[in-house]
Amino acid sequence: MDSITKEKHIPKYINPYFGGVLLGILILFTFYITGRGLGASGAIKSAVVTTVDKVAPTHTESHTFYSKFISRDNSPMSSWLVFESIGVLLGGLLSGALFGRIKKLRVEHSPKITKKTRLIAAAIGGILFGFGSQFGRGCTSGAALSGTASSSFGGLIVMLFLFGTGYAVAYFFRKLWI
Amino acid sequence: MNKNYFILFGLLIVLSGGLLFLPEKTNYVQQSPESLMWDIVQPTRYISTDQVAKLIIEKDPLFQLVDVRPDYDFEAFSLPNSFNIPIDSILTDEANDIFNIEDVNTIFLSDDDIKADQAWVIAKRMGYKSVYVMKGGLNCWIRTIIQPQKPSESAPITEFELYNFRKGASIYFTGAELSTNSDIKQEVNITRKKKETVAEGGC
Amino acid sequence: MGPLIPLGQISSGWDFIIALIIGIAFGFILEASGFSSSRNITGVFYGYNFVVLRFFFTAVIVAMIGLEYFDYMGWIDLNMIYILPTYLSPMIVGAIIMGVGFIIGGFCPGTSYTAIAIGKLDAIVFTLGLFLGIFIFSEIFPYIEDFYYSGNMGNITISEVLGISNKLFTFIFVIIAVIAFYVTWLIEKKVRKTINPYKFE
Repeated sequence: MDSITKEKHIPKYINPYFGGVLLGILILFTFYITGRGLGASGAIKSAVVTTVDKVAPTHTESHTFYSKFISRDNSPMSSWLVFESIGVLLGGLLSGALFGRIKKLRVEHSPKITKKTRLIAAAIGGILFGFGSQFGRGCTSGAALSGTASSSFGGLIVMLFLFGTGYAVAYFFRKLWI
Repeated sequence: MNKNYFILFGLLIVLSGGLLFLPEKTNYVQQSPESLMWDIVQPTRYISTDQVAKLIIEKDPLFQLVDVRPDYDFEAFSLPNSFNIPIDSILTDEANDIFNIEDVNTIFLSDDDIKADQAWVIAKRMGYKSVYVMKGGLNCWIRTIIQPQKPSESAPITEFELYNFRKGASIYFTGAELSTNSDIKQEVNITRKKKETVAEGGC
Repeated sequence: MGPLIPLGQISSGWDFIIALIIGIAFGFILEASGFSSSRNITGVFYGYNFVVLRFFFTAVIVAMIGLEYFDYMGWIDLNMIYILPTYLSPMIVGAIIMGVGFIIGGFCPGTSYTAIAIGKLDAIVFTLGLFLGIFIFSEIFPYIEDFYYSGNMGNITISEVLGISNKLFTFIFVIIAVIAFYVTWLIEKKVRKTINPYKFE
């Protein structure tokens, strides 16, 4: 832990409470304008469906999962979440540029593990998260955040169990982070 | 600890606490004007007197009759098992209780269908969905059910069937035998009258 | 009267542009608060950085209070809002799997997008992992379809389940959140040996 305090550069972030207030107001207006909350994992699902459809159209037509999202006229990519996710990327770019955080391609990892370990962990984490997000009908942004804000019981459940499990297993993966 | 945090959290607690003390809102959910106009234009809200007679005779439990005439008219003559809610009392709580029964369709009736139509529009705006109007009102009821017109000899068989039904209904409601006119007299009447196209319940 | 697009106050042709703008705002707020760094995010699980908790809880309570007041003022019709349907068992299982993925990967989809924007390779790998995970799910879907649809409680709200009014639940939630803020502040004071917070880029 001591090596961390020796970092000479303190990153400029806005106060998390302030950020939270901003996000809360954003969620409020998202509901007000569109009647739905935010989301993120849905865009990846659209990407999966589109890709599989392009590569193997006969497979998707008969499949119970994919067939629900394929329509004759529109690509699954023309969905609200896809545009919103593109916006998230752009917004991150904007903020990163503003605060000087856009740098060359790098792997962020704890000094105690190697880059390779971190990348493998990211991949495994991604696969697990993607798989789980389908059961959970959303990720932290969609189900936990927007769901709880709109008083959905499912949203609350996902929030509690997601973070609860995080705390429960944090000890076993502590080497990755601290 | 930074005093700004106290202000922020204090504000959030006060705001959410304030929610608990807000008085109950009383805004009714209203139907939009476009959709109300559309519903007004549909003829499907009308129920013919024949259909109403059938519902009464069959003792159908899924409907109720609401007479919107003033109470003295109601005392003078009313349909069996109908409720009297004069149109100026249609927004009271008692009226609300009658309209609010689940799955039961409400049929408004008045002398003609003017007052019943008004009641229907008010009920629709209040959000009730299963409300209807008896077409022609009680005047039509008298003309079709209580004193049905015998159709001309050249009329299609359906008109005779309707007439027989109405005669039977008339007996049911008035409890008296209608005097049967001799056929000869009827014929004279018929040649002078124009043959009316009788749609079901036409008045 | 909101919600504006479902009630036709804004034509639905604007849908995607509005989505883009909202997304940009979302991404900006996320990145500016520090969520483009996986080490910042997992700090909440190890007690050295509580950004996630503060950010998340604050956002939820502000949104909840806001929605309730908007509803009271008649500015929004809460019946027309999309409420996430509750499928009890699959959601619990999904949340558990996501929790493990969260700890191992250190990202969630939204934050990974912002991290990609500033050039983090591990975020790119995470997003590819998301793709793969969802792909695997879709392929085995016919076998788990029954479980996926089990436990359907409909669009049930928290107040319906707990039997208390929405407003009361909002108030209790705010109190819990403020207590959590206070407790984490105490913890952070203990863990921090210096006044430099453990923040990463």
